[in-house]
This record gives sequence, structure tokens and C-alpha cells, in this order.
Amino acid sequence: MTTFNKYFDELRETKVWRSVFRGGTGKSTLRNSMAIQQNVFLHLLSTKVRKRMLEFNATWYLGTLTLGTFGILVITGILLMLYYHPSVPQAYADTKDLQFVVSSGQFLRNLHRWSAHAMVFLVFAHMFRVFYRGAYRPPREFNWVIGVVLLLVTLLLSYTGYLLPWDQLAFWAITVGSNIASAVPLMGDKVRFLMLGGHFVNANALLRFYVLHCMILPLAALFFVAIHFWRIRKDGGLYARHSEPDVVMTTAPARPPL
Amino acid sequence: MRLPDRLEKLRQLFFGDIVRTFGWTSLLLLLLLAVAPAKHFFADWHRYQRGYERLISKRSDAVTLRRHFEPGIQQIWLPEMGVVDRCTTCHSALKETTLKDVTTQPYRPHPVIPHKPEEMGCSICHRGQGAATSVEEAHKSTLAWEEPLLPAKYLESSCGQCHQQDLKGTPQLNLGRQMLSQYGCVHCHTIKRPDGSVITGTDDPPSLAHIADKTTREWIYAWLKDPQAYSTTATMPNFRLSDDDARDISAFLTSSSTPASLKVVQASLDEAKKVKDNAALQTKAASLYGESFCASCHAVQNAAGNLVGGNVGPELTKIGSKAKPEWLQAWVRNPHDYDPPTGMPHYRFTDQEVGELTGFLLAKTDADLLANVHLEAPTPDQIAHGKRLVNDYGCASCHEINGIKRPENFAPELTKIGSKPVNQLAFAPGVPHTLYDYIGAKVKQPRAFGPSLKMPQYTFNAAQIDALVNALLSHDERALTMPAAKTVPALPVSHYEPAGKAGQLINDLNCFECHTINGRGGDMAPDLTWEGSSVQREWLVQFFRNPNTLRPALIRRMPKFNLTDAEINTLTDYIMTVYQSPKIDRDSMPLAGYAPGQVELGKQLYYSKYGCQACHIIDTKQDKGYIGPTLTHVGSRLTAAWIYGWMKDPSMLRPGTQEPKRNMSDEDARALTAFLMSQKGSEKQEAKKR
Amino acid sequence: MSTPDSKDFVARVGSDQRKSPVRVAFVTRRTSAQVKAHDESIVQSFPEVLFRAAIAVQVLACILVLISLFFNAPLEGLADASHTPNPAKAPWYFLGLQELLHYFPPVVAGVLVPTLVVLALIVIPYFNINIEAEGLFAKDRDKRLKIFWAVSIAFCIFLIIFDVIVALVPTVITVALMALAATTPANSPSAFRRSLAAKPLSFWIMSWFLFELVVLTAVGTLFRGPGWSWVWPWSGPGGVK
Repeated sequence: MTTFNKYFDELRETKVWRSVFRGGTGKSTLRNSMAIQQNVFLHLLSTKVRKRMLEFNATWYLGTLTLGTFGILVITGILLMLYYHPSVPQAYADTKDLQFVVSSGQFLRNLHRWSAHAMVFLVFAHMFRVFYRGAYRPPREFNWVIGVVLLLVTLLLSYTGYLLPWDQLAFWAITVGSNIASAVPLMGDKVRFLMLGGHFVNANALLRFYVLHCMILPLAALFFVAIHFWRIRKDGGLYARHSEPDVVMTTAPARPPL
Repeated sequence: MRLPDRLEKLRQLFFGDIVRTFGWTSLLLLLLLAVAPAKHFFADWHRYQRGYERLISKRSDAVTLRRHFEPGIQQIWLPEMGVVDRCTTCHSALKETTLKDVTTQPYRPHPVIPHKPEEMGCSICHRGQGAATSVEEAHKSTLAWEEPLLPAKYLESSCGQCHQQDLKGTPQLNLGRQMLSQYGCVHCHTIKRPDGSVITGTDDPPSLAHIADKTTREWIYAWLKDPQAYSTTATMPNFRLSDDDARDISAFLTSSSTPASLKVVQASLDEAKKVKDNAALQTKAASLYGESFCASCHAVQNAAGNLVGGNVGPELTKIGSKAKPEWLQAWVRNPHDYDPPTGMPHYRFTDQEVGELTGFLLAKTDADLLANVHLEAPTPDQIAHGKRLVNDYGCASCHEINGIKRPENFAPELTKIGSKPVNQLAFAPGVPHTLYDYIGAKVKQPRAFGPSLKMPQYTFNAAQIDALVNALLSHDERALTMPAAKTVPALPVSHYEPAGKAGQLINDLNCFECHTINGRGGDMAPDLTWEGSSVQREWLVQFFRNPNTLRPALIRRMPKFNLTDAEINTLTDYIMTVYQSPKIDRDSMPLAGYAPGQVELGKQLYYSKYGCQACHIIDTKQDKGYIGPTLTHVGSRLTAAWIYGWMKDPSMLRPGTQEPKRNMSDEDARALTAFLMSQKGSEKQEAKKR
Repeated sequence: MSTPDSKDFVARVGSDQRKSPVRVAFVTRRTSAQVKAHDESIVQSFPEVLFRAAIAVQVLACILVLISLFFNAPLEGLADASHTPNPAKAPWYFLGLQELLHYFPPVVAGVLVPTLVVLALIVIPYFNINIEAEGLFAKDRDKRLKIFWAVSIAFCIFLIIFDVIVALVPTVITVALMALAATTPANSPSAFRRSLAAKPLSFWIMSWFLFELVVLTAVGTLFRGPGWSWVWPWSGPGGVK
């Protein structure tokens, strides 16, 4: 282990490594902070976190896990896009061919499908968990709203992806869903037309859902996820009970002290 | 060190540091991710390909076989037919004829068929999921593919997707298609061929407009209860009617019947009455029945219980229990009076003969048939109920009934029945969930799918049911979308009508019932389209007068219609003038006057070079050929030009004939013609004929 | 935090020698500072948080990979507009809505309800009553109890009129629990009842919503067969026996 660490440290001292990673070497707190602050992606996060928020019980890691499923979905989704044509009836044949001829194609599709279900479930779980912890309270109210937007984006992602295999299950689920849209007063049929690119679920709808699913909605999700994470830092880190001015404490004497 | 301490130290070593734990979970994830490709490697088709390589390595022609074998996923891709068949991935030896002895699948070579797999694919004929690469998915019915592999007994249905004409190799399909028309399926169910033409019935169900003139209400009742009790060959199915329903329908049918204009001749009736109860007169009448060749179309059960006779007309075993004497004598005299479009010919019988035949038929009764039928006079309620039932059961789909309109699309259309999604079928308990089992079970016992279903019960045997399933399966989506270049359409329906007085005669005698002329008519007797080129006038006149069979082995014969000389002349003139082949010049060859040398040469060619005696008879004492017609009188029957043309190319004159083309030289053909034209039969026979 | 008019402090750059940040509080006349935890122990995001998060994600990924290896994603026959499966079901997360569609006109179940739900979720943090989070019946007990009973009974009658038994059951259970909370004295010996009594209105509404969501989705997913009729999940496919 120590030998490995030694070589790794040496590697980090090289000119090339230092040109890539601005954080530098060493194990000091400063260096650790730099690793976060000096990274374009990680600087969205806080540099320091209250230790007790690391415990599983504090958050159940639901937000992290949701992001994890999103990552899995992006990776498997890009691989699936290599084998998929959003046209009728080729889409269905491509889905079949994933199973029959593409190496591990069925596995890819399985992973994408089950991760999608997991993500929808985790987003809901995250929302309720945040609510019951009271983590939506000021100054985090806007991050809660962004969370609600992300919930809608997630549902739309899952819903648009549902149509892509172009099987009976997909077709009729989307038909049922789009019929609900046509119930919007006054402009229901217009909404439905805009959604499907026609009056019925057909090749236009497939293309539209494909573009939404693979391009527009993932970008929207990324955009809002970035704000969501950045706001965690800006709003004072993960909400931890009893660590900040909390009105609850003054009005709930029945609660046992921590 | 104590064990717990050691464990603790071990835990520290592996999980003591968050980065180390991360390392372990990374490793676990990578390992799990590696399982997916491994699972792919152990797929069915990899296994079968390895098995095939083992199989061929032990054989003597291993090198050739290995050169033919291509590893990896194989596919036949035919975009215009929507075929992506990967069957050859596992079925590697389809074209390896040297592996004939291999019986284990998937390595069996394909039997010889007229199509090449690379041109038709596999799933077009076998169904199943061609694109699949696992055994289960390719052969069985799954949630995503409800078309499992067809069992061998239904394979002929796939031929019917493209071939709308009968094929020699598809007896089951041909029978099934014939049954669809013959058993009246198409009267209730519309079935369209891919070219849009509608399949029509050939059973010609009788009109019931004047049913009360023809038979009694008691007989109708008994017939409705069980048509097969009257005649085992009846095509009318059993509607499983209750006693009350049968009573009410019979009440409605008799009360709605209007009188027909029947010609009742008292002399014939009296004669019939005499013949009916007199054994000696019966024998005489029986010979008239025989001479008129009634049995060519009608069957009668003999003492042994076997049906003897043709199946063109109805069975007559119990006709005496059915027909009223007045109706029967009118029918025998001229059936067109009662039912203009009937297929029964108008014999020119004398009133005496009509009486004899009527009496002969009236004697054919079955005392048991109506023994237990006692019907009261119908009430208006019963008649009204009967009418409702007639509407409910769609009787008018087949029969013309006064006061009832023929229902349009009474039963579901079956044009796409062969690709009906299984999830839309309601299965009876115990029926396997496949389309062919569904169709089979439905045809076999329709009411098992629910007592309220209207479809009646037929009496089909297992082979007939399989044949029907074959015919129905061929009507599927693929048949409708098949590219036109790949299909063989059905023969167009001919609406040929002969003209003038002769035309009236031809219709009156219902020649089309047995003979085909210009594409219209039956296939029981020879095609007459070129008859004028073929035969000599004198022979034709004689034949009308006294039809003599050309093929003694056949039971069905041309009936004797008792035509007048004037009628015979009209018919003969018409045939000789109109039914001429453009390929035969009747006057190009002499009918007689060949040099003896030529006749002798012809005889040698006949017996030695071409061996015609294998199928034909000229010398009745020696020759044993019964496949072709007897040629003892051919010289007085056929024209020389026809015989010459026949020698050169038989199938040009009669497509589909069994006579082989021998590629004769002109000299040989001429010599044979001379020889055959010299065969005019003995004078003695000629005299007997006159 | 508002900036005071006159500066009477000096801002200084902190050094990383201190483990935890120092909280600066401005005490105005109306509020009083009340700091509960003085010295929270703090860890660096790198490596502690990042690696923990990565481990959590990897464990989840392992579980999903295992599921994917053994359970295939559903796939049915080619889409066919002329053959409607019975029942045609939306994805599971919309089955709660589809269940409501069975009872209410599409405008209500398909448009009004989801819109209201989203709006309600958005406004949660902007209502003071949610922020104060005091026990629902702690203040104004009699008046609130009256409103509570009026609203509950009216809503239950509404559900009964539309025959929405599926949604009625969670409602009745929630109302019963709220009634229990309302009748709990402050010094009740039961810790469970004391905690119920301390729950604010937002808790009750959200819990009722969660309860309805779970029940409606479960019913739509598992208990609905051909023609949206009630079937038992164990009575097999088709359900009509």
C-alpha cells in the first residue's frame, strides 16, 4: 500500500499532473479544500460539511443516489442511442435487436429501464424526506422550488422515454397520458397536438419524444441539478436540525432535548 | 492476538479508510459489470455453433463443411417482405445435403422444396420470431411475439399466403379451401383474397321461398334438429336447437312459404303411386335411374351402409320421407321450374318416365325419421318467435326466405384471421393459447366457447379440421402485404355465357355443372373449350344420342338427356363452329387416306418407340393401359389435326394433362396420326351402337 | 441579515487553522440570539463526503446491475393503434392519476389535481404556518377543531358522492389520527400521542398526500384489470375468474 501511495504521490508531483489539476499535492486541509474549490464541477459543493450530516440516518443519501441514477441513465442512454432509430417501425426492431444481436444490449436496456424507475422513486423519496426533515425552510425555500421543478423534469424524462421502444405497452401508456392532456380546458387539443406533433401517437410523436428525451430534458435536468447543488452551498450547506436558529425549539417544549 | 482483534485489524486493513472502501466497491461493481458480457457469451447460439463444429469435425467431408460454415450471427434479410431471419445462426446445416442422416435439431438439413431459403427466408413459411437468437424467443409464443412456430401439419397454410391456386403439394390446403366454399362458411363470414376478390360458396343452399310445396313441416323439424340424421353427407350444420325452437322455426318457414308454379301431371302421379309399392316396377325404374346416370351426382346408401354415387347433388337415401309427390314429379320433369338456378339438368323425360322415377324415389323412405315428430298447428306467437330465431341465427345468410333480408356480414370477417393477435381471443377452457389451436377448437366445437355463440356444430373429422385450419391460417396480414411479384393470384372467375339457342340449351342441361368451357364450369368432365377442333361432327351427334364412356374405369358418366334431333343439331353445330382452337387447323389434315406404309410405321412407333400401350388400349385383348382413354375408336372420334397437334405438344392443347410431351419429329407424329386415324372400331360394335 | 447603519466591527479573513467556522450574528432589538450547538465538528468535503457519495452510488449501481442481470425490461408486441389492450395503463407513477380519472372528469383528475399538487408543493416554504411548525391544535383549539371537522366531513362526503372509496380510506385514517392528536392533552403519558399533537398542519396535509399517493398508485398498478375493474393481484393475468 505504502509503495503504491509513494508512486501515486510522485505521479502527482509530475509537471503534467500539476498542469491538469490545480489543487496541488499534499494532505493539508488547504489542499483538500482546493480539491473542491479549484475544480469546475466540484466547486458547486461546499468545501466543508458538518460531520454528523455524513451519517446515513441524516439524509439517507437520497439526493446523492438520485444523482447516481441520473449518471447511470446518461451513460447507458448514450450507449443505447448508438443502436436506436427514432422511426416507425424501426424503433421496435432496434429494441428487439438490442436483445437479439447487440452484445449485452439487453443488459444495457434493463439497466436503463430499472434505473429510470429507481430514479423516479428516489426523487419522490428525496422530496418527502426533505419535507419531513423541514429542510425546505428559509433560506432554502427556492432550492425546494428547484427540487419541485426537477421532480417534474424527472417525470417527463421517464414519460418520454416510455414511448421509445414503440411496443404496445409504450404506445398505449402514452396514448392514455396524452388523452389526459387534451382535457385541459379551452386549449386541450392544442396542447395535445403540440405534445404529439399530430392528433395521434405516431411517428411524429416518437421523434418529438426522442428529441425531448435525449436532448432537451437531460440538458434541463443538468441545468437545474447544477443550480440545486450550488444553492445547497449558498444556502448554508445541508440542513441540519438544531444547528442553526430554529424557531421550533422555542415553541415545542414537549420535544425531548437533544 | 485474539480473534476479534485480528478481525478488527483485517477490517481496518480493508475498510479502515474511506478511499479503501471505495476501492472495494469499485472492484465489486466492475466484477458485476463483467458478468453481462459473460452472460452474452454463453448465449444459446454460441453453444449450438460450438456443437455444430464438433459434429462436423468427425465427418469425412469435414473440410468442405467447415468451409461452408460461418460463425457468428447469420441472417437472411429481405426488406421488401419484412424478413429478418436469423434462424441460420443455429440451423447451420440447412443446405448441407451430405448431413441427411443427422436427425438432431438444429443441425438437420432442410428437405427439398421449390424455394430457396435466401429468397424466402424461414419465418414466412414456419412463422416464429425470425429475428430472435434464443431458442425460446425464436420458437415459442412470448409477450412480445405471439406467433410461435407452426406445427408441421399446418405448414401448408404458409404456401397459401402467396399461392391462391391449388398446388399439387398442398392437399390439406386445397381441401380446406374447398371446404370453406362447400360447407357454406363464406355465406356468413366474408373472406377476401389478397387481390380483393371475395371467396364465394359452391354449395348453393336451396331457396326456402316455396319450401311448403317441397316438403312437410315435420320433415323440416326433424332436419333442423339433426340434419345428419336425414343424410350423413348433409352440409347443413347442426344449430343445436331446442325442441321448441325447431318447432317455431318450422312453423315460420312453412307459414312464410308461397306456392310455386309446379306442373302437376296426374298421369305421372298415378304412375308414381303404382311404382312406389310394386317390387317389379321398382326394378324397372331402377334401371331407368341407372341409365340416366343419376348416380353420377346423387348418392344412395346401399344395404351395406356405404354411399354409392356422386356428391354433386344431395343424397337420396331417404328422399321419400322428405319430398311431396307433386313436387318430386315436377322436379324430375324440369327442375328449373321450381329453382331456376339449380345445377340439376333438365332431362327430357316422358310423363311415364317421370312417374317411374318419382315412384322409385318415393319408395326411399325411413320410417324412424319422422316417427316421433308430432306437431300441433302453429300459434301466431310461435311463428313470430320462429321469425326472430331465423333472424338471430342468420338463416338468410345461406337460404332465401320470404320476409327476411339477407344479413350483411352476419359473422366476423375472416380476411385476416391468420394473424389475429392471440391476446384478443377468448379461449375456451383447456384450449392451448395459440392461434391454430384456437381456430381448430372453434371449428371443432364452436359452442364450447360459450353457449350463446351462434356458430353451428359441423361434423368434421380431424383431417378436415386440420385442412380448414390450414386454409384459414393462410388468410393473414402477410398474404395481404406480400409484394405482387411474389404472389400467384387465383384464377379469374369466368362469366362466360354461350350465345343463342345453343346457349339456352347448354344452360338448360347445366353442362357447366360438369364441363368447363372458357374457364367457366366444373372439373368433373373434360374441358370443352376446344371441343370443336378436337372431335368429328358425326361422333358428337352419336355421343349426344347415346353417351358412351371413353374411360371405362370411371363411375361418373355423361347422362343421357333424351335430346331431340333438332336440339342435337343445334348443339353440335354450335360446338363445331364456336369451340375451335386457334392452334389447330381442322382441315389441314385428311381424316382418311393415309398410305398403308405410314399406318404400319405408326403402329411400330406406337408399340415400340413410344410405348403408348402402357396407358392406352387399342387391342382390347392384349393391352392393359387404363390410365388414358381407350383408343379403339379414336379414328372415328378425333380429328387428324387434333391428334397431330396432341402428339407434338399435349399440354399446349390441354394445360395440366397427364400425357407427356415426347418431342416427336414431324414424321413420327404424322405416322402416329395415320395409325390412330385407322382405329375406327369394329363394324360389329358400330352396328350395336346404332 | 440586514447591515447595521454604523460599522462597529472589523471583518477578517479566517485561516484554515480553525476547524470550524465562527458564526457572526447581528443582534437587533427584537430578536435574541439562541445558539444551540456551538462547536459542530466539521469535515472536509474532499475526501470524506465525495468518497462516501461515490460509495453510496456504487452500492446502488451494484444493486441495479444485479437486477438488470436477472430481470428483463418488459417488451410487448409492436405498437398497433387498432388493437387496444385492456386495460391500457400509463407508467406506474401516473397510475394514481389514472385511478382518479376513473372517478372524476378528465378536467378535474387530469388537469386540476396535478396542477394544484404542483402549486401546493411550490408554495410550501413560503407560508409562515409551515415555517413556524407548531402543533396544529396548540393554539385556538376550539376554532381550529371546528374548521377541521367541517373540512374533513365535507371532503369525506364529497368522496362518497363520487364513490371514491379507494381515496376515502386513507382520508378517514388521517382524519382519525388528527382527531387523536386534537384530543391529546399536553401532558399525555404516551410519547406517540405527544409527538402527534406536536405535528403542524403542513405535516398532516403532506402525510395525507403521501398516503393517498401510495394507495392510489398501488391500487392502479396491482388491483386494476380489464375495463379498470377491481381484480386481485393473485388471481392471475386477465383477472376475471
